[in-house]
Amino acid sequence: MKRVAKPVFFIVALLIIALTASSILGFDTQFGDIKTTRIKGIDDIRWGIDIKGGVEATFRPADGVDATPEQLESARSVIETRLVSSSITDYELYADDSSQRIIVRFPWKEDTTNYDPNEAIEEIAATAKLTFRPGNSYTTVDYDADGNPIMKTPKDETEEILLDGSMITKAEPNVYDDNGKIQYVVSLEFNDEGTEKFKEATTTYLNQTISIWMDDVMLSYPNVNEVISEGKAQISGSFTAEEATALATKINAGALPFSLETVNVSSISPTLGQNSLYAMGIAAIIALCFITVFMIIAFRIPGLVAVIALAGQMSIIIIAVSGYFPVFNSFTMTLPGIAGMILSIGTGVDANILTAERIREELKRGKSLDSAINAGTKNSLSAIIDGNMTIIIVAVILILVFGPFNMLSFIFGLSTTGAIYAFGYTLLIGTIANFIMGIGAARLMLKSISGLKLLRNPRLYGGAKNER
Amino acid sequence: MKDKMLDFYGKRKIFFGISIGIIVIGIICNIIFGVSLDIQFSGGSMISYSYNGSVDENEMKSIIQEKTPDDKVTFTVAKSIASNNADGDGYTLTVQFSGTDTVDTQVQSDILQSLQEKFPDNNFETSEFTSVDATMGLKFFVKCIVAVAIACALMVVYVTIRFKRIGGVSAGMFGLVALFHDMVMVYVVFVIFRMPIDSNFIAVILMILGYSLNDTIVMYDRIRENKAKMGPKASIIDVYNLSMTQCIKRTVMTSITTLAAITSVYVVCIVYNITSIQSFALPMIIGLISGCYSSICIATPLWVIWQLRKKNKEAAK
Repeated sequence: MKRVAKPVFFIVALLIIALTASSILGFDTQFGDIKTTRIKGIDDIRWGIDIKGGVEATFRPADGVDATPEQLESARSVIETRLVSSSITDYELYADDSSQRIIVRFPWKEDTTNYDPNEAIEEIAATAKLTFRPGNSYTTVDYDADGNPIMKTPKDETEEILLDGSMITKAEPNVYDDNGKIQYVVSLEFNDEGTEKFKEATTTYLNQTISIWMDDVMLSYPNVNEVISEGKAQISGSFTAEEATALATKINAGALPFSLETVNVSSISPTLGQNSLYAMGIAAIIALCFITVFMIIAFRIPGLVAVIALAGQMSIIIIAVSGYFPVFNSFTMTLPGIAGMILSIGTGVDANILTAERIREELKRGKSLDSAINAGTKNSLSAIIDGNMTIIIVAVILILVFGPFNMLSFIFGLSTTGAIYAFGYTLLIGTIANFIMGIGAARLMLKSISGLKLLRNPRLYGGAKNER
Repeated sequence: MKDKMLDFYGKRKIFFGISIGIIVIGIICNIIFGVSLDIQFSGGSMISYSYNGSVDENEMKSIIQEKTPDDKVTFTVAKSIASNNADGDGYTLTVQFSGTDTVDTQVQSDILQSLQEKFPDNNFETSEFTSVDATMGLKFFVKCIVAVAIACALMVVYVTIRFKRIGGVSAGMFGLVALFHDMVMVYVVFVIFRMPIDSNFIAVILMILGYSLNDTIVMYDRIRENKAKMGPKASIIDVYNLSMTQCIKRTVMTSITTLAAITSVYVVCIVYNITSIQSFALPMIIGLISGCYSSICIATPLWVIWQLRKKNKEAAK
């Protein structure tokens, strides 16, 4: 047997322990009042609303209106603006053109006391009210997740409404070449009433500011440079392409020819969610303690190695879910996601048991420790690889069908069933992690630790008693 | 040391009998009780309220029925330890609306408001509210089944290629039979315990899909290895019996660990009365047992029978 150097066991084991500890606990630095997350732990995982509590709702245009993709996108941006302005950052929001649905999932805000799904849904899905107002005064300012200010609630001169969204026929992003400098602008077109009102407004407020509001939030506050009487205007500024598109989309929302009706709702109160998360936590601790004790008693040294490898496998899954480094977003972990994790850990345990049983068998046949470990690891490999490969097939199919690729969308239309996607995701990551830890690291550790003189008694590997 | 060998093949009829027996019981229960699709798939609405202390249930029901005159509404009240507080024991009231239409969110708000007005001291709160459009729910259910079918087909192909030496296609097909067996067992659990077919059912089926096949492959792998070792002259029954004897300890060990994990989830959820996870863990326990059982007692003996028949046919020629 090719011996692996003795220190390898300790190096691999220490690395895995460090990885496990950091992936569970995370790492923060505190500087004055500002806490910065350096490494994300288990607490930074984004839990799905089935665990944490929250609202999931599906909307469609009311009264059977067939919305264009742009209109649907506008409706989506209304909901987005409202979620962001009410400081809900942790939302998922999709517009699906083929089935004419908008799906939103968001958790309850931490300070919410009234968990009324009806109120929450009405708040975000009400028809958007777009207004043009003189000046740019506002009452309060909030900050979104990226630290951009959100100016809210008209005040003083902005309480007057010059014209509203129903008078706009079209808003679209445009690009033009300003002496070799690319400029992004938003073009507006008004209907007859709008043209008249806008002419009045630009005459009155020439060289002053007019602000554009959606509901309670100020979107933009351009300066009036000239009187506009043709019913066509341009908002320029130092927009990026995305900013121009976003603003145009939002302005369009003020003129949508349909309201949204609710198709599906489901809401779970946070107390219910917290209870199940807490219970799952307790169950996980009990299960892990049992597996640790059982593996070490039943398989001794290979059992110990297996437990370390399993810890490594688990931390890889946790890392893939939490994102680990702050630059990566956390995956949304749902109950089926936890099921995928359990299954992959189950196959990880199985891989280690297969190997340990094979080593024991070889020892009973009277082989020396080294050749028994060698033969045991070799013989169990094909079963482990075949078993894990089939599980990878299942996981990949689920990811393709239920994930962002939407493989069967030509039959079933686009849909976003995050729950089963999460199962595929954790299962795939967990099974790959099993290849790295349960097969790679565990075997390395086993071949290294068996070189230690103190631990060369075959009985520690499940060998027969009569062997000396 | 001579490897000892247990006679698994001789007991095949007992194995098949047990499985068929359970399936027959399941079918009978299915005919008697029927099976219900959860509103996630069938469409419909359900609201749960949590409250504390005792409330006149009939009065509570009539308030709700009043607000929903068109609907026949069913009520379930359950104790919930988690929401106990100073105002008394915690309870959960689940209201299920008949029909597969969605219920307006306004109705939900109205009911809560009148409950809170009528029973101001009982802390009525909405704890869960689900309302699903029938066409969307059914589409999702069918999509799940199609995904499972694709995964099954690909796995048979994989097994066929990897186990060519032991009659690939037949190995794949009997692996699939074992898989069906396990899915039926999970279904039987839902029928016998009268749990509606919901997303938990899908999650358990997906998990069993992976687990059962992994287990069957371990058995096939041992047969493949032993067949190569023992040479073409060895009897297939011996190869099977020896392989299973060698694998049985691993199967027991693996089953103990996985079952212990899921059982701890189940027990903790009973203690905290979290029904959503209970109805996930219980079929899972049965599915895991069935997954191990079907590998040793269904897939592989069927494969042996098939191989023997093939041999007889060749001999007859």
